[in-house]
Amino acid sequence: MRIIVHNAKCQGHARCWAQAPDIFDLNDEGYILPGDIDVEEKDELLASRGARSCPERALEIDRTSDALLDRLLFNQHCGG
Amino acid sequence: MVRDFSLFTSAAMQRTKNGDPHAAVACAHAGPPIFFSPYNTRDGRGTWVITRANDQRKLLQDTATFSSHRSIFASALGENWPMIPLELDPPAHGVFRSLLNPLLSPKRVMALEPAVRERAIALIDMISASSTSCDVMKDFAFPFAVSIFLRFLGLSDERLDTFVGWAKDLLHGDGIKRTAAARTIVAFIDDLAAMRRKEPADDFMTFVVQAKVDGRPLRDEEIRGIGVLLFVAGLDTVATAIGFDLAYLARNPRDQELLRSEPDRIVLAAEELLRAYSTVQMIRVATKDIDFEGAPIRKGDYISCPTMIANRDPAEFECPNTIDLAREDNRHTAFAYGPHRCLGSHLARREIVIALEEWLSRIPDFRIKKGTAPITYGGHVFGIENLILDWS
Ligand code: SF4
Repeated sequence: MRIIVHNAKCQGHARCWAQAPDIFDLNDEGYILPGDIDVEEKDELLASRGARSCPERALEIDRTSDALLDRLLFNQHCGG
Repeated sequence: MVRDFSLFTSAAMQRTKNGDPHAAVACAHAGPPIFFSPYNTRDGRGTWVITRANDQRKLLQDTATFSSHRSIFASALGENWPMIPLELDPPAHGVFRSLLNPLLSPKRVMALEPAVRERAIALIDMISASSTSCDVMKDFAFPFAVSIFLRFLGLSDERLDTFVGWAKDLLHGDGIKRTAAARTIVAFIDDLAAMRRKEPADDFMTFVVQAKVDGRPLRDEEIRGIGVLLFVAGLDTVATAIGFDLAYLARNPRDQELLRSEPDRIVLAAEELLRAYSTVQMIRVATKDIDFEGAPIRKGDYISCPTMIANRDPAEFECPNTIDLAREDNRHTAFAYGPHRCLGSHLARREIVIALEEWLSRIPDFRIKKGTAPITYGGHVFGIENLILDWS
């Protein structure tokens, strides 16, 4: 899973960081650092909680990479 | 599109015993998402009212179309200077915001925590040593929130009651009292700035008089704009939030017991209480004619985004009028949306959580004292008083 960070929308509520301080990094002013975030599978629950708690909708959960991966694995399985 | 509804003059907004102004405004969702309210400001000026969270978000994020430059405080004195950063629009806003953000960032607030907790404990211990009942606004919520805030500004507690009195007159007094309070506060901030210029201390005002933006020192008017805003913003909002929260817990013993026995739940519960009992409305001015979701907003029109209405929006929150202390999906707008997101929100949150933690761990099973009734009211900041709690 990836989290797409819409940096310009971040207003420093720090809700994401409060939920998952190891996944979301804030700068000294309390706003999120730029750059999308790749989330390891074990952290997915926490990360999505953090993303879903952003009042500005600045954090978008992107599962397309998972879907790609799934398809790849499926194809490998089926010998495709 | 015109509705007879106002956060100032509607029936449920008047001082009411055992009132529930938040539930009263939630009824707005039964009507149109946007409407015009002819009396929805203190000066009797009308505003558009935006009821949906999603529309409020769009509007408050669009600072080019919806300006927050109103000089509301200054205009009460026949003057014209903005409270900073609230009444500045981007990009000027960003410069001051960047200056002030680090002072109240989440990490900075963590450093303030021990002092905040110590203050809460001292007050509660004093109360519980002397009685099994108290007026929680007067004896705890105000002295706690205001003293933390005064300490942040670098002022001593001695004049706490005076300051709270000024804030009361300013926010809830009649026209004459309001103007007098505004004058007093401005003079106080100007004096304080002059004092810190002469004799710097380790405090907020010293920081402001020594600060630079764009490579130049701040102008007197800018220093005043920042000082006045911080002074006013911190005086009654946190105390009021604590009051509404404790009133809720006093009336809902099961939730009270839950938080007392599992204090880890308080952080999440505080968010739900912020959602359910938010107390301020944001007002913006249209910078051009615009049709917003079907409403013909004209240049110069006032638009109100009441947080307490958005926070009860059924399109945003499942069962919005149910208070569920374990609610997880809770992107509430108690601190507004957009660049003007409350600068003090991180400190406010911590204060509320700490107040609840310490109150619940030190005061047993409490309820509203028999024969008393807390009074609530609406207005520019919703309020509660006469909240007598009893744990005898
Ligand atoms: S919750 Fe949203 S607005 Fe707040 S810091 Fe995180 S990304 Fe920014």
